[in-house]
Amino acid sequence: MTFDEGQGYVVLATIAVPLLAALVLVFTPGQQKMLVRYISAVTGAIVAGLSIYIFAAYQLDGSDAQMRLQWVWVENTAFLGKDGITLNLAVDGISALMALLTGIVAFAGALASWKLDFRNKDFYILYWTLLAGVYGTFFSYDLFFFFFFYELAVMPLYLLIGVWGSTRKEYGAAKLTLMLVGGSVLIWIGIFAVFHEANLGTFDMEQLWAAGRDGTLSPTFQKVFFPFMVVGCGVLAALWPFHTWSPDGHMAAPTAVSMVHAGVLMKLGAFGIIRLGIQMMPAGAEFWMPTLMVLGVIGAVYGATAALTQRDFKLISGYSSVSHMGYVLMGLATMNQIGVTGAVLQMFSHGVMTALVFLMIGALYDQAHTRDLKDFGGITKVMPLWVIFYSIAGLANVGLPGFSGFTAEFHIFVGTFRSYPVFGALAIFAAALAAAYMLRLFAIVFFGPFDVRWSDLKDLTPLERLSGGMLIASIVIMGVWWAPFTDRVGQTVTLLPGVTG
Amino acid sequence: MVPLENYLVLSAVMFSLGVYGVLARRNAVLILMSVELMLNAVSINFVAFAAYLDPDKVLGAIFAVFIITVAAAEVGLALAIVIRLFRNRATSNVDEAASMKW
Amino acid sequence: MGAEEAWLLAAIPAGVFLVLALFGRALPRGGDYLGVAAILSSFLLFLIVLVDFLDTPGKLGPVVNDIEWSSIGESFDLRMGIYVDPITIVMFAVVTTVALMVNIFSIGYMKGEPRYYWFFAVLQLFVASMLLLVMADNLLLVYISWELVGVCSFLLIGFYWEKRSATEAAKKAFITTRIGDVGLLIGIIMLWKATGTFNIQEIIHHVEEGAVGQNYLFAAVAFVFLGCMGKSAQVPFHVWLPDAMEGPTPVSALIHAATMVVAGVYLTARLLPLFEVADGALLMVTIVGLTTALLTGFMALAQTDIKKVLAYSTVGQLGFMFVALGAGHPAVAMFHLMTHAFFKALLFLGSGSVIHATHHNQEMDKLGGLWKKMPITGTTFFIGSLALAGLPPLAGFWSKDEIFVVLNDKWGVWAVAILAFAAVMTAFYTTRLFIRTFMGTPRDKDVHEHTQESALVMTGPLMFLAVLAAVSGFVVFHGVGKALGFPGGITEFIFLPHHGPHRYHFDLAWATASVVMGATGLLLAGWMYWGNSIKRSTQLAEAQPGLYDLIRNKFYFDELYQAGIDRGMLGFSYVVSWFDRYVVNDTGVDGSAQVTGFSGGVLKYLQTGRLPNYAMAVAVGVVALAVIGLVVRG
Repeated sequence: MTFDEGQGYVVLATIAVPLLAALVLVFTPGQQKMLVRYISAVTGAIVAGLSIYIFAAYQLDGSDAQMRLQWVWVENTAFLGKDGITLNLAVDGISALMALLTGIVAFAGALASWKLDFRNKDFYILYWTLLAGVYGTFFSYDLFFFFFFYELAVMPLYLLIGVWGSTRKEYGAAKLTLMLVGGSVLIWIGIFAVFHEANLGTFDMEQLWAAGRDGTLSPTFQKVFFPFMVVGCGVLAALWPFHTWSPDGHMAAPTAVSMVHAGVLMKLGAFGIIRLGIQMMPAGAEFWMPTLMVLGVIGAVYGATAALTQRDFKLISGYSSVSHMGYVLMGLATMNQIGVTGAVLQMFSHGVMTALVFLMIGALYDQAHTRDLKDFGGITKVMPLWVIFYSIAGLANVGLPGFSGFTAEFHIFVGTFRSYPVFGALAIFAAALAAAYMLRLFAIVFFGPFDVRWSDLKDLTPLERLSGGMLIASIVIMGVWWAPFTDRVGQTVTLLPGVTG
Repeated sequence: MVPLENYLVLSAVMFSLGVYGVLARRNAVLILMSVELMLNAVSINFVAFAAYLDPDKVLGAIFAVFIITVAAAEVGLALAIVIRLFRNRATSNVDEAASMKW
Repeated sequence: MGAEEAWLLAAIPAGVFLVLALFGRALPRGGDYLGVAAILSSFLLFLIVLVDFLDTPGKLGPVVNDIEWSSIGESFDLRMGIYVDPITIVMFAVVTTVALMVNIFSIGYMKGEPRYYWFFAVLQLFVASMLLLVMADNLLLVYISWELVGVCSFLLIGFYWEKRSATEAAKKAFITTRIGDVGLLIGIIMLWKATGTFNIQEIIHHVEEGAVGQNYLFAAVAFVFLGCMGKSAQVPFHVWLPDAMEGPTPVSALIHAATMVVAGVYLTARLLPLFEVADGALLMVTIVGLTTALLTGFMALAQTDIKKVLAYSTVGQLGFMFVALGAGHPAVAMFHLMTHAFFKALLFLGSGSVIHATHHNQEMDKLGGLWKKMPITGTTFFIGSLALAGLPPLAGFWSKDEIFVVLNDKWGVWAVAILAFAAVMTAFYTTRLFIRTFMGTPRDKDVHEHTQESALVMTGPLMFLAVLAAVSGFVVFHGVGKALGFPGGITEFIFLPHHGPHRYHFDLAWATASVVMGATGLLLAGWMYWGNSIKRSTQLAEAQPGLYDLIRNKFYFDELYQAGIDRGMLGFSYVVSWFDRYVVNDTGVDGSAQVTGFSGGVLKYLQTGRLPNYAMAVAVGVVALAVIGLVVRG
């Protein structure tokens, strides 16, 4: 058991607190709905605080993994050698940023579900279990636990959407879960293939990464199994053409689940591509990245084009997520430091701004019970604050300077241009399409003549303002002063194998 | 000493009879008896091989004892099921107990 | 405090924007005085910067001040900073002066409007972004502020969001310029890729040393120029500017006439050394400028909305500036930019005064005979019109005259002929606008009777700008420049380093030609419209119905684009949506689910429920395995 000055326990606590909260909620009487809410809010605040601490405490000293905590689980039995399966937690620049994202979105999501009344105890149990899984995946340096937490994060989605969802919820939930599990199967195969091929008797990721770099995992092996990892994780990252769960799943999901799902879970996919693809199989990455680039570009343009004529708020956001995750995949596929850094920034940026969008959609849908754009008009008159919040999210989505979207997209464009100029140009064009679909939504919903049937809509509640405010603060800070973000991410990205200067 | 082949032939005949019984009979009790035949055939094999390969150890006999124990438990359970079946359907013909189909 | 601290110019309005946006609603009078104070302090700071700049021992050497912004490993270093040189100084002058006047004017014009505080807040944000744009030392910062001014323009055009047309106009403006911005960003990144830096001066340095191949450079410059065309509403991106007149009139004066739309001219002037190195780039600029000046001249002829006429005239004048740039003379372009900013802001504010006085009536057909009712507005408008028509000694005359001279030197007489025709049309429609609005007898008695002169808060800025429109042209003279503390006339202040300064010479032949052009248009319009009659113009329209329809419908650009968007882009989107639903989802995803379900439906019949069947299956399986084992091993 080793750790860095006790900080490892902070990392452990970040996973343990949501799990504990779920456990406490199990023993809370279901009728005590307010108590359930308070427990969740407090948990959210603690988790957000821990996440911010991890992000801030991450040292910019050129080292990679920090705040390590290592507990041996099983070793030296049967097929497992030394360090066979260990609870190996640590933080690098990428996961520090992802932890920050998760903390903010989780807290905002917990507050956003305040109004939820139907079995809210069960909802929060699943919600916090899911978030524990998310944190675990980001912090795990052991393949076994990586996959364990990954599944822990994906599985509760079925119930969360199927029970608390709306439009065609059973269909959306089943499709989403089945597609993600399909991806998991590919990852699982890939993990065992790696374990077997490396023949080190350990699931320790750092030893396996070393094996990937020094050729213990032969280049041919890497070329064969890289697609397993990337497609497996790519399903969760809305990799075209495995993206169709996104529009339907988001349409069905309740507000907080949409926020966490689009905000954080989709990033697990991209994160998995970094961890299991780029870091574990550099030779495979080199061979397959041009293909991923093509798929990313298709996703980016395709999502933006499809969003142009949708009529449902959530479908627009679902397709725009496909488009933005296309940017993430493009950034990763550039395999240069600027592009990969941009991809990680985009993961954060897309996370906070999509969470904000879904929060706003939820705030409207709860009152209006419709999500058809054409039903609305001149909403600014009754919900001015809602419009401002939505506009900020929308303009960040468009990539307007001053908001996080620009910072991220700019790095991705520059990185892509360095390696693939034509695709870079296409990506910039897709950003113009984003302006078109966003402004179309603004014009139809926010502006124009006011429809009196909406005159009793209420503006944002204080809790919605608080959670939206946190997300906006993240969007603006990253958009204006992005050095703290690029410093942390860049420190890790420069150490990734195969990623050029 | 009796040659190993004799034991093997005996066991093979018993096993084949058991297989025939399981496949051809329709009465649940008879099927169970055939299963017992097959199990015993296996036990004979174990004991015979053990005696010939490594007479000092009694590994084969241990397996045989295990098989007998498990078989007894199995028959106990199976006969209980057959009795329930007979009580409910007034038959012990397995063809008529086909409610588990699609 | 020196020119290094010029960033304060932008910082103060930006801070006031935050204050007004967050607390403006609670402040008395919406905090409009804060807005005026912020711009006034920017203006004063500009004067300090100017004095400091002129006193710098290096004699007009640029002032640079930058900081480390962000970095990724060794590969990517971003610095952000400001760069103050004569071009920046001129832009500072234009932006702060016009913004100050517009802010004061707005206090009167916007009085009683809903969201009064929001108007002033966004105006501050706009001024901050615009000032940042003109002092940015690197293209990334240029792009950032470029987008910010775009979004301010969007917010202000859509200020009256209850009106569907205003919302549509805002959307159109943002998306049209955004398409140009795609080009701009591509161009910026292409330049970065070739030179490894975003810093404008370093890029120019690398390019002049020949570090970038000709074709590549031309492509990069052309992409950047696309952005300039979008922002400066050059053909074929001009469609958004006339629609942008849906915004409040002070906004039209500040953003859509004097400052934001000249950002394209500014950026082209800033990057002109690149255009000079890239073969054919200057020709491209000239052609775009000439086409725009000519086409929008035609379009303005048949407009009846005061602001639309001015809008088309703005586009045309921007074309004039691009022509000057195409001739390789940033000084002339900046000179015309400055004079145009003053007289066009004057004209817009004047029309705002009219619109305000007549309770939002901006159709010429309902106006007329307003001079007597509104003497100050009428007189100042008259001065502005003459300046726009290019009659001496008003500002527009000197700058327009210079454009003809440099154009002739560079591209010859044919280009001059085209531009001259555009100039005649300018004089024509300006005169028409003035006569139809202020002269003759009122056509709508009801509107006329309720009209009275605007308050001093509105006429004050008009008078100030009228003075500038009258005299600002004189800065071209050596003596005037010297007297003001500059090294000489404006052409000796702004110049490309390797061309060196050049002193202005008054050329009687060109001046005469220029006066003749102006007078021709003026007299022609007078002949057609004097005395409250449109009989002659109606006859002309009936004589040439095809041509009239073409001009009246603005060469069908809008219809063409609308068809392109509806049939092309949206059609494509429907196809993609259909593909996504029916091919990818229903066939690919649900299809595989259905195949699984169907297989299950078929295979379930293996589940007979009969024990003997299962036993037989086991037996067959064992035998099969045994056989396979034997075969494989054997």
